[in-house]
Amino acid sequence: MSSGVRTSRLHGHRPDIWSLVIFAGFAIVAIFLIYPLFDVFRYSFLDKVTKTLSLSNWKTFFSKAYYLRAFWHSILIALLTTFFSMVLGIPLAFFTTRYRIRGTNLLNTLSVLALLSPTFIGAYSWITMLGRNGFLRLFFQSIGINLPPIYGAFGIVLADSLQYYPFISLMTAGALMTIDRSLEEASENLGARSMKTFFSVTLPMILPSVTGGALIVFMMSLSNFGTPMIIGGNYLVLPTLAYNLYTSEISQTPGMASTVSIVLMLCASVVIVLQQWLSSRRKYASMLVNRPVVKRLKGIKSLLAHLLCYFIVFFSTLPLAVIVYYSFRKTSGPVFKPGFSLDSYRQIFFDVPKTVMNSFLYSLIAVLLIASVGTLLGFVIARKRNAAVRVLDPLLMIPYMVPGTVLGIGFIVAFNRPPIILSGTATIIVLTYFIRRLPYSVRSAASILKQIDPALEEAGINLGSPPGRTFRTITLPLMQGGIISGAIMSWVTSMNELSASILLYVGKTMTMPIKIYLSVADGYFGTASAMSTILLVVTGLSMFIVNKYFNRGSDTFIAA
Amino acid sequence: MASIQIVDMEKHFGEVQALSGVNLEIEKGEFFTLLGPSGCGKTTLLRTIAGFYHQDKGDIYIDGELINNVPAYQRNTGMVFQNYAVFPHMTVFDNVAYGLRVRKLPKEEISRKVSAALKSVHLEGYERRTPDKLSGGQQQRVGLARAMVIQPRVLLFDEPLSNLDAKLRIEMREEIRAVQKSLGITSIYVTHDQEEALVISDRIAVMQQGVIQQIGKPWEIYRNPQNTFVAYFVGKINMLTMRLDEGAEQGLRRATLGNLSFLVPSEGTEGMHEVIAAFRPEDLIEAAKEGSQNEITGILKTVSFMGSLARFELNVEGQEITIDRHRPREADMPQKGAAVSFAVPTQSMLLFDPKTGRRIGKGGRR
Repeated sequence: MSSGVRTSRLHGHRPDIWSLVIFAGFAIVAIFLIYPLFDVFRYSFLDKVTKTLSLSNWKTFFSKAYYLRAFWHSILIALLTTFFSMVLGIPLAFFTTRYRIRGTNLLNTLSVLALLSPTFIGAYSWITMLGRNGFLRLFFQSIGINLPPIYGAFGIVLADSLQYYPFISLMTAGALMTIDRSLEEASENLGARSMKTFFSVTLPMILPSVTGGALIVFMMSLSNFGTPMIIGGNYLVLPTLAYNLYTSEISQTPGMASTVSIVLMLCASVVIVLQQWLSSRRKYASMLVNRPVVKRLKGIKSLLAHLLCYFIVFFSTLPLAVIVYYSFRKTSGPVFKPGFSLDSYRQIFFDVPKTVMNSFLYSLIAVLLIASVGTLLGFVIARKRNAAVRVLDPLLMIPYMVPGTVLGIGFIVAFNRPPIILSGTATIIVLTYFIRRLPYSVRSAASILKQIDPALEEAGINLGSPPGRTFRTITLPLMQGGIISGAIMSWVTSMNELSASILLYVGKTMTMPIKIYLSVADGYFGTASAMSTILLVVTGLSMFIVNKYFNRGSDTFIAA
Repeated sequence: MASIQIVDMEKHFGEVQALSGVNLEIEKGEFFTLLGPSGCGKTTLLRTIAGFYHQDKGDIYIDGELINNVPAYQRNTGMVFQNYAVFPHMTVFDNVAYGLRVRKLPKEEISRKVSAALKSVHLEGYERRTPDKLSGGQQQRVGLARAMVIQPRVLLFDEPLSNLDAKLRIEMREEIRAVQKSLGITSIYVTHDQEEALVISDRIAVMQQGVIQQIGKPWEIYRNPQNTFVAYFVGKINMLTMRLDEGAEQGLRRATLGNLSFLVPSEGTEGMHEVIAAFRPEDLIEAAKEGSQNEITGILKTVSFMGSLARFELNVEGQEITIDRHRPREADMPQKGAAVSFAVPTQSMLLFDPKTGRRIGKGGRR
């Protein structure tokens, strides 16, 4: 066996620190995933009145239009969002990769910023533009166009599509850039026109990436809580329905909230399974012998291509710009006044400095946990594939299919009674950040490790260094860049987390996303804008650091 | 006492038997090579000695000490890897110093030893470089310096030259040999390149399908292969399956192949009706005009001029054979399609049993 099985254990049969890591992995999954999710599952089969095992909740769900409607709303919203994301994403990807478009880097950066910004910011900004007295609505009214009301399906799809289309554009662009030019040339050489070539060669080759991106968009839209919460009005989708049910069932058993959560999780699981199946199928990887040519367009064609690309990205960045603008407007209580000031920022730092502190502190602690635990578990999964690890690996991926709302409900029902009482603590918030982000961190650590030759670790062992020291002196330094850029992405998502933490916070553990949501609900748009701007700056800076110092491309962001 | 002893070793990966019944004794200071095609178990054996794999059965002794349960990092073996495995995040100096630092040597001693090691692989002045600034050959020199500087009980080479270009390979193998001999460290060298094995080794073990086929000095392996696999794998050899006539005379027996007739040594052929006669391309001589003993006539299929020699491929009674002519001259070259004749001296013939592939007769071991 000259190439051998490289993943087998590096030395004899004695237990080492890696056994401990595997054990810890199982413990985390059991306590923070299985236990709370099982609780949710259990409550959905518990009669509210008799507290006995029954199907009453499920009967209610399937018999009342109120519940079923939310289910169909969720599916419809996700489908429409996916469709419009493709409409925006595919042309943008095609033009920016195949034709020379000035400022492609800027376009990419801006669309990723829109993608990573908290979902509720976009939604809230569209309200300020297209809400009852929104300036865009007034503008359109003045030229005689009456736009449909923003609250409801229209607003959700609008905000979601403009936020999530970069998943499609970035993945499609990635595929378009790695198609071997010779394949398209071969098609043309055999007599196909360029349209024919696009549909018979190019499109089939990028299809796996396009569908991969589409499934991510579907999944994100399905489990998105912030946007429908802020802009949905009475138009309920599964996450907002679960949240509403939970808050109304607060003094009873959360039977219906649990039932809706299980339905939501099942939907998400179907999408994830589909995605796994799709990505396990053959991909058209090429050796990149000939990179595709970037054509130069002339005159009107070039102008139109530029207009299209800039229009798409402008539209998706507009909500962010509007928020930043409003954050500097003069305010008096909830009302905006003419002129500019730092009122809103002053208000934040005098009234709710704790909220800002909380966000930074919780995210920081969570990220340290995520990065260290994720790296250790990633190592075990990439390098120590024994029977236990093969069981652990898929278990660690469970959070992928658990929408934040569901995890939040699970945590609150499981951890407000013995043996583990965490409700009302900062710990429970940090733990939600940790669990939601852990699979990404594990995956990314494992994939970094796959690019590090195991022979390097063997060389360390062979030179007399015990496994722990080898990991510290060889593996870890080689993984460093990847770990840090992954940690920064975790930091961004933790800072912006709303869907689980809104169920778990108490006054003293409030974070910025929660405060923004509450301010919007109360009509204090100035404070909301200023806090959103802070989150945007944090997001933007993090992206900049990842790009600049870790030399990672846009793919880092879509993997996040 | 042997420096390394492998006793009755077995190892399998799932269904695949990677090593079976492996027994070896390697002398102190010896340069020992494991030679075989990919998948033959040579790398598995090397990695088991290093402690990266654990054998299913059998014992490993180094200097008389049983090391079965000693973890890899305590075995004190110095390994040189196929893809160099030079730590990319460390300078050349730090790479070579790594094992010494693990051993907690004083700073001055580390620096002295690293310099000496780098000198012996001709990398003086490269201490501060990082691996990405080094060529493949230089990286492998770092790998070699790093492995030998810890003064291991045994040096393990895992196809260290297979990623280098042909010219560098020849240069490096001579350096490895020279460094090993000057340090006197027992070495085990894995390769699939039979020429490399012949040049570099004191002794060679030829492996196939997890089984050691033959152990011997390079000369023995080439001149005295014990079965058809070894004969085929090391160097080029022609094999013709012939029918044996009954009766022997003066230690010779007549064998026929179509219209051709040969005299082969009779020893060991008792009771056999068929035999494989094998001979190296360079052992054929030109047939005399008036006809020679053991003459082979065939149709010339291809002529390849290779500089120092010309290689003829001949079709003889439906079987292919190869003949090498040294110092070829253009004027003497036969044309493709011509019938040409050569002769095999009886003493150059190696006989094998067609059923078992085993060597028979003189030189065969039972």
